Amino acid sequence: MTEPVLIGEGLIKRFGATVALDGVGLAVGRAETVAIMGPSGSGKSTLLHCLAGIMKPDAGRVLLLGQRVDTLGERRRSELRRTRFGFVFQFGQLLPELPAVENVALPLMLGGTPRREAVAASRAWFGPLGLAGMEDRRPGELSGGQAQRVAIARALVTRPAVVFADEPTGALDQRTGHETMRLLVDATRGNGASLVLVTHDPNVARWCDRTVEVRDGRLLTAGAV
Amino acid sequence: MPATLGLAWRLLRGGGRRGMLGALLTFAAVAVSTGLLLLAAGVNHGFAQRADADAWRHPAGMSEGRATAVQALSTDYVRGRPVTVVDLAAVDGRVPVPPGMPHFPRPGEVWASPALADLMRRLPPDQLAARFPSRTPAGVLGRDALVHPGELVAVVGRAPGDPVMTAGRDDRSVRETAASPQRIDHYATGAVSPVPQVYQMLAAVASVLMVVPLLVFGGAAARLTVARRDQRLAALRLVGATPGQVVAITVAEAVLTAVAGAVAGALLYAASVPALARITIGGGRWFAGDLWPDALWSAGILGAVPVLVGISAVVGLRRVVVSPLGVARRQTPPALRAVRGLLLVAVLAGFGAVGGSLTGMGRAGLVVLLVFVALAFLAINLVGPWVVALIGRLTVATARRPARLLAGRRLVDDPRAAWRTVAGVALTGFVAGFLCLLNPSQAALDGGPADRLELAVPPDRSAAVAARVRERLAGMSAQVTVRHAETSDDGADMGDGPARDDVVAAAVPGGAAAVDRARTALTGVVPGQPATTPADDPTARHLMADLRTGALAVLAVSFLVAMTSAGITGASAVLDRRQTYAMLRLAGTPLPVLDRARRQETLIPLVVMGGGSLLTGMFFALPFAMGVGTAGLLTLSAFAALGFAGIFGASALSRPLLRSVTADPAPRPD
Ligand SMILES: Nc1ncnc2c1ncn2[C@@H]1O[C@H](COP(=O)(O)OP(=O)(O)OP(=O)(O)O)[C@@H](O)[C@H]1O
Ligand SMILES: [Mg+2]
Repeated sequence: MTEPVLIGEGLIKRFGATVALDGVGLAVGRAETVAIMGPSGSGKSTLLHCLAGIMKPDAGRVLLLGQRVDTLGERRRSELRRTRFGFVFQFGQLLPELPAVENVALPLMLGGTPRREAVAASRAWFGPLGLAGMEDRRPGELSGGQAQRVAIARALVTRPAVVFADEPTGALDQRTGHETMRLLVDATRGNGASLVLVTHDPNVARWCDRTVEVRDGRLLTAGAV
Repeated sequence: MPATLGLAWRLLRGGGRRGMLGALLTFAAVAVSTGLLLLAAGVNHGFAQRADADAWRHPAGMSEGRATAVQALSTDYVRGRPVTVVDLAAVDGRVPVPPGMPHFPRPGEVWASPALADLMRRLPPDQLAARFPSRTPAGVLGRDALVHPGELVAVVGRAPGDPVMTAGRDDRSVRETAASPQRIDHYATGAVSPVPQVYQMLAAVASVLMVVPLLVFGGAAARLTVARRDQRLAALRLVGATPGQVVAITVAEAVLTAVAGAVAGALLYAASVPALARITIGGGRWFAGDLWPDALWSAGILGAVPVLVGISAVVGLRRVVVSPLGVARRQTPPALRAVRGLLLVAVLAGFGAVGGSLTGMGRAGLVVLLVFVALAFLAINLVGPWVVALIGRLTVATARRPARLLAGRRLVDDPRAAWRTVAGVALTGFVAGFLCLLNPSQAALDGGPADRLELAVPPDRSAAVAARVRERLAGMSAQVTVRHAETSDDGADMGDGPARDDVVAAAVPGGAAAVDRARTALTGVVPGQPATTPADDPTARHLMADLRTGALAVLAVSFLVAMTSAGITGASAVLDRRQTYAMLRLAGTPLPVLDRARRQETLIPLVVMGGGSLLTGMFFALPFAMGVGTAGLLTLSAFAALGFAGIFGASALSRPLLRSVTADPAPRPD
């Protein structure tokens, strides 16, 4: 593994009596793609949220390029998510009233890029992702797979260090799901970004560099799969 | 049905904090609407009661052939306040008992209203009590005889031969305050004199101005319940609930909320009646009971509100019921057509054509005006979403920063929803524009000297009356003069009346007490005609002041509606989009950007629509403009200031809500 970009150490997270994470450690290398697998309720999403600075763990540390993330205030974490991370989720990430291209351009604009430039940069993503001609459609006018590809463009447009994806194709049929996953893994790699991907599908996991398995809030050793 | 009700109740209670919040918002909206509807009805009832209490003082004449009494009316003044004096004489045993009294007054008896009785006790007799045949009242008049609680009224019993009961009075020009003796066999009812009629008509106009925005607001509020629940109902539909069941559940839920809201609204109104009763209109406060609409109206309002909410809920639900796939709009909405714009233009042009001639049309003119005002309201309400969409497209085209882009796209996406947020203020703008031109300037309200007592008498008697006045006022250093009737004749319409009168005037130095002493001394010099000063008749002054009070009350109510509506729709917009907001927040969008977008999507249309309807309102008031005095301009600026402060306040209320829906950005289906 190259030097790690993102490190989680001894992560513990409780929801009342439920222990969602029970001391998890995970390091993600530069441009590495890591699949997280495990049964439902095992703590995969919770792990991803802690790594991405969406949640604060109750104990443990998260480091991005050697810097503590978990101790930052909400404002700084929010900025970090906007500038260093990209997200692809199962639903609800595109704004229904914005055309596809503006959805992609939004993170750039939030970062201060002028609108014209941001939109031009976003358009460039549509061809490679097989979305040519969809730029001005609104999310409601796209198929599920197309919408997820717009979301992938949106996650990558800011050239993030790490992309987080939580079952991004859970709502798609298997073939479309596989195509979309393939695109996600390849595009992330192609941009030199790392990928943390939660999935139930062993075939998808196989495309990744590495798979970790979560059980009851703990990591099983790799290779136990 | 009980099963449905049970399920609805459980859904209502089990809807979680957000579901409960939605229900609470609807509840609040219904409560405010009900309270204000009761106010609108109550005000009309109050004026009708006043007109009724005023009616009996004006001699009604006879319905059958035989007179049983003689009745006359005059108006005296004490300390500048009017004292209504009703003189009654029985000519027959079967006399009608006047309202507010246990029996017909016997000759020499004086019955006084509570306020008058009090004054008669407190002022020296030579200033007030000595004007009446008896210095202490035989009894106190009940409220049936009174227009308002502080009114000064005296009912004086006399013998039929008393000069007061035979002398004619100048009742052509002052029908309000004087009536010559007439033989009667019953008392008048209904609105018989012009001033109460004017007040009743103004109250009707005020009600229309208030009720239309209220209905728009109520409709928006009702749809809110549905907006809260459509997701869940789509799910119910997916698991196989029939359309009928879904409708029944929603309606039951909405109606349950609305019934509670209506009851709360009635309590709210009941709680504010004591304060409302203190508002001075027509020279007096109110009997609290008069401000309650009668049972039929109250029941009608309390019943109609939940029914209307139920109907709105059904209309809002149609889409869920038609398609189980849910109600989330997935396509670009069809553009609203420019026909909507033409509609307002048509109404404006129509009014421009007939508006000028309305003032000359009397009652019919008022009806036409009301119709046009209602049409203008409807047109503004139809044009609103179209203009909002237009503004949205402009905003999108010019946006450079994300907040403005988000706001503009949102306006284009759902102009109707955006319009609902600002509709209240826009319609208030119309009301304010309409009223600000109707504000008379103070200069028009000044009467004349308050120390010159006058008596109008036929020219052949003026010398004798002047002599008697001098004699009665001896020792008061009064200046008595006679102003002779002008021979020039601009009053040709009074052709069949007697010759025009001379005026015997007495300038009385020494202030109000001296004037009242002189008035008392002059009692009976001309039977049935108390001496009055040019400053006395307060009717016009009251009417003008009341126009302003009424305008301010309507404005205040409209603002209350507008702010509640802005607050409620703003909050519901945040709730509706909580998932989007949470997602944006998760992806690192700073809260201030979200907040700015949310503010702009309200403020941009608010400024344009508020200003536009203000101008429309002014256009409608042009034919009746009394000049934009400082008062009018002040009202106008106060409107702008209050409107913005109110909306900022109401919109700031949804800021914590935004914070709370984005506090835990972990993605969740709901
Ligand atoms: N906000 C929360 N409040 C309370 N408990 C929670 C919360 N989020 C997660 N949990 C609990 O934490 C545990 C782990 O949840 P998590 O969502 O991480 O599971 P997961 O592995 O992502 O499951 P799935 O594959 O079904 O998405 C579960 O027992 C869940 O019930
Ligand atoms: Mg999960």
